[in-house]
Amino acid sequence: MILDVIQRSLQSPNRLVPVESLLGRADGGRMPHVDVSLLTAEMAETACRLCPTSALSLVHREEKELLCLDYGQCIGCGRCAELKAFSIAERLTCCGVSKQRLVQYFDPERATEVETELDIPKAAGREILSLMGRALNIRQLDAGSCNGCEAEITALTNPYYDLERFGIHFVASPKHADLLLVTGSVTRNMAVAVKQTYEAVPAPKLVVAVGACGCSGGIFATSPAVAGPVDKVIPVDAYIPGCPPTPAMLLTGILEVLRRPTKPGK
Amino acid sequence: MDPMPGENATTPTVVEVARLLQGPPENRARLVSLFGSIDSSLKRTMVHYILDVPGAGYRVLEDMMNGSVPSITPVSPAAAWYERELKDQYGVELFGHPDPRSLLLHENWPGNCHPMVDSTQAVPWADEHYEFLQVEGDGVCEVAVGPVHAGIIEPGHFRFSVVGDNVLFLELRHFYTHKGTERLFQGTPVSSGQMLAESVSGDNCFAHAVAYCQAIEEAHAVTAPPLAQLVRLIGLELERMVAHIADVGALSGDIAFMLPAAYCSRIKEDLLQTSVRVIGSRFWRGIAVPGGVTRDISPSAAEMLREAVMQASGEFAKMAAIMLDRPSVQSRFEAAGVLHHSVAGDLAVVGPVARASGIDADIRRDHPYGAYRGLNFEIPSLHYGDVLARTRVRIDEVACSAQLILDALTQLQAGPIRTEVPQDVAFEGFSAIESPRGELLYWVKGEAGMLTRCHIKSPSFQNWPALPHAVVGNVIADFPLINKSFNLSYSGCDR
Repeated sequence: MILDVIQRSLQSPNRLVPVESLLGRADGGRMPHVDVSLLTAEMAETACRLCPTSALSLVHREEKELLCLDYGQCIGCGRCAELKAFSIAERLTCCGVSKQRLVQYFDPERATEVETELDIPKAAGREILSLMGRALNIRQLDAGSCNGCEAEITALTNPYYDLERFGIHFVASPKHADLLLVTGSVTRNMAVAVKQTYEAVPAPKLVVAVGACGCSGGIFATSPAVAGPVDKVIPVDAYIPGCPPTPAMLLTGILEVLRRPTKPGK
Repeated sequence: MDPMPGENATTPTVVEVARLLQGPPENRARLVSLFGSIDSSLKRTMVHYILDVPGAGYRVLEDMMNGSVPSITPVSPAAAWYERELKDQYGVELFGHPDPRSLLLHENWPGNCHPMVDSTQAVPWADEHYEFLQVEGDGVCEVAVGPVHAGIIEPGHFRFSVVGDNVLFLELRHFYTHKGTERLFQGTPVSSGQMLAESVSGDNCFAHAVAYCQAIEEAHAVTAPPLAQLVRLIGLELERMVAHIADVGALSGDIAFMLPAAYCSRIKEDLLQTSVRVIGSRFWRGIAVPGGVTRDISPSAAEMLREAVMQASGEFAKMAAIMLDRPSVQSRFEAAGVLHHSVAGDLAVVGPVARASGIDADIRRDHPYGAYRGLNFEIPSLHYGDVLARTRVRIDEVACSAQLILDALTQLQAGPIRTEVPQDVAFEGFSAIESPRGELLYWVKGEAGMLTRCHIKSPSFQNWPALPHAVVGNVIADFPLINKSFNLSYSGCDR
């Protein structure tokens, strides 16, 4: 009986999704996209009012009123997507980036997206790349998540995404890890354990904060039982937004952090 | 059992609660939940008991808290954690509780700060003391595991007392992911509460959102339109399928039988990807809202879902049969981690764990809600109480859920998907649903579109205290397997 299964598995189609069709994909992640040409000042104001976190806000900069969209705070509720200038993003490139690059500014008066300063490459990422080549060990750390992010991180090992194909493994001990993938807003009760786990990872090390809670505290940001987002407790190198981020977003983020050459294949 | 300790410490309500909770198992009430609230108009603190009384349905009893609460734990051990939570949240003394140590609030929380009543502005970091229970005797060793575990798992602490490989005693210390969710609900607009509910336990997020929305609807005496109820049923059963398929795969993975594990992870992913195409979200987030749902299922999406569900349940059934047929699986699963029927009853265990220990209970049938009203469907139950029974119950439930989805898909008809929830009234009410892990209840109170209290009875909070009873007597190496067969949510418990 079991031989039948193995035979069938060998005959069944390969489910592996090629990396080029995963990078930047965000479908199912419910992150917003702003079409700035349709944006009005009034719409920007309504969107900010609808937003349950502070992912959408109005900011004054250089005597202009700008709409600020912080993906790090967005829980993907989809409320703003009811407005004309907003839709659900099919693609999202700000995965595995600095905190500044999670934020976009839009000028409703001029219908333009305002440029923000670009990233400075992280030294640790380059060092790990030169040391390890294509191998990377990830230790996932739940600092107080709702387990939504865990469900999606677990999916990275299924036959569709198969993270192992990039030489990336999940390891059991922080002492074996190059990268800490931290989910959740850090609760008071976890703060000590999070610090100790970070200290147990040998240098050079990278820390990636995952999900709205990990990036900003998300919907739990104001809770007295929460110490803060991950970067309030340990140093963070890069951020992957989402609530929860889809496997494609996670994979994009992890590969982006490594600045691994992933040239499109045939 | 002992009567209430200290006759003068008790109140008529507590006497009545204790009376209902005692007696032969088939006649006594089941403790559903126990929690506090503040009655702001009368400036008093209340304690609420929700019981499931045989033949009479849910019954809510209320009592005033006067600084101390007579404990009902000596009568019903199922109340132990609820009362400890009450003490942490409201700072009341428990009278006659066998173990009044703090539960939610760890050493870092000052002993005199109780988040539901005291100011939580800049709570200082404290260094309180927590005493673990100790087993003494020749050759007894302690093995401490967690909070950070070796894998993609949520945090929690397990302290085993072992002699050799045999577990003599297991103490759980959880609430590492305690996020003060019930405190955050206070002052949240009714229209946003489901977002917080979705983040109580991410893998059962739709169940939490629906339970919250139903409680709001119940409290406002409105009903979601029939189409919305059907969409909710489809989402709930799909979530159950996904959860159980993932659990069975993970159980196989835990005994290093990787083929079914890989298969199940693939089938689960198929269903999640279908969810994106059908409803726009992998876990049905943002779909349930008070008064209904935000999205309909189009005829073409329904057809897509029908095909995916048929294929998934067919493939899963085949794989599960192969798995259970392996002698290596049987030898690990059978007789491992037995939770006895009487212990399960005393601890008021719910969901697949209860149904594997001979407790034939399912909220969908016993307290039908939404589109489950009037439905007649099979509820698998076994009496062995071991890992194998818990696996088999889940396998059978996948087939039942698939059938429920297929039936519901044929009934989809165009219509409204949302009812208006009145904004300007005071409200109070609750609703329970059968989540993949068992009975999940939301109790809400508020006024003018704002919540003043929301209590979550989570099945994991109820079931965690039963786990040590299933683990004691087994070898420590079987713990991950037994734990997985319960598959309880840490975040759902800790909130």
